[in-house]
Amino acid sequence: MARGDATAFDAVYEQVAASVYGVVKRVVRDPAQSEEVTQDVLLEIWRDASKFDAERGSATAWVMMLAHRRAVDRVRSVQKEAERERRVATSDVPYDEVAEAVESSFERERVRRCLDSLTELQRESVTLAYYGGYTYGQVAGLLGVPTGTIKTRMRDALIRLRDCLGVA
Amino acid sequence: MKRQQRKREPHTLAGAYAMDAISEPDRVRFERHLARCQECAQEIASLREATARLAVVTAETPPPGLKERVLAAAATTRQRPPVTSDADLPARLRALAWPGRLAVAGAAVAAVVVLGAAVVFGVSNGTMRHQLSQAQASSQQIAAVLTARDATMMTAPVAGGGTVTIVMSHSMHALVFTAAGLRPLPASRGYELWLIGSAGDRPVGMLPQAASHMAGPVIASGLRSGDHLALTAEPAGGTSRPTNPMMLYLVL
Repeated sequence: MARGDATAFDAVYEQVAASVYGVVKRVVRDPAQSEEVTQDVLLEIWRDASKFDAERGSATAWVMMLAHRRAVDRVRSVQKEAERERRVATSDVPYDEVAEAVESSFERERVRRCLDSLTELQRESVTLAYYGGYTYGQVAGLLGVPTGTIKTRMRDALIRLRDCLGVA
Repeated sequence: MKRQQRKREPHTLAGAYAMDAISEPDRVRFERHLARCQECAQEIASLREATARLAVVTAETPPPGLKERVLAAAATTRQRPPVTSDADLPARLRALAWPGRLAVAGAAVAAVVVLGAAVVFGVSNGTMRHQLSQAQASSQQIAAVLTARDATMMTAPVAGGGTVTIVMSHSMHALVFTAAGLRPLPASRGYELWLIGSAGDRPVGMLPQAASHMAGPVIASGLRSGDHLALTAEPAGGTSRPTNPMMLYLVL
């Protein structure tokens, strides 16, 4: 590994590892598995850095997309339905329980305020889908709402979040 | 009716797709749709910026030892070459800078340095354009260093707490500096950055008081070979000579 590459990757690690681990653990929940997935994600970032395209979004968005996708893949591949049923009870509004958070409380407060600005159905759809790792079909089942409605709410919710956070 | 619903369906899936809340067959179908729909791709990109914020606020200190294991594994893992042809790479780099300038940055900048610069300095097409409107000259210089052919990235810990990251280019005689997690100083004092070498001790400037835990990016020009980079705590107005102790002394 070239020295410049190694130090650059070191910087990437310092910048993203806590966020990658945080979101993976939020979705996967089991600490040992979360660590495994985090390691896989960070290696994927190293291996596929050339796929990052600044024209198509920020580096943070690219990294977090990889992390979230791998976390969801893990949950869907290993978790049996019974186990998932058990998780339903615990994945309610999980954005509150941040242990040892390292991101500035200002940023957390901002995201929380934007989540609070959503309708209840929008907010539940987002938390179950993004933090809970459920598909829109499963979210519809959990909330007892038609899938068509959930799809629309999810899109409306993200558009509202995006505008509220001013990240577009 | 049924047919029409099916036709309209892909676009409403944008939210579910951006949150990975979608089954594998749906994902494949939606990605086929994305490939043909420029507008949808743009919407997904913007929604991903929002979901990224949902991810970032969950940040948690990773278990000890993870970094060593990741870096060790990376050392034995080959990086994939760009999927795009070499001819496309300058375009990718220009996207990091700004339209029209930097004719050819060359393919020599490692992909991970480009990613590192983007992740650490937060530069992307959008933010760079935003910065341009604020402080054009300095942003242009920063972009030029980050995408220089010989751009090299270094990180180092700061005595007393924090980490600095620099990207330097000897061909451009400049470096870009940013710091994270520096110990807060009383209002009467600030961090001052120095270049130290055979040309003497040159003050680069005071670090702007960080609104959050990040400071910078600051550009230091007039870099000479053999220079060191130093960081000291000084009176808020700055001084002409660095006073000890140096919290960072980095060979460039």
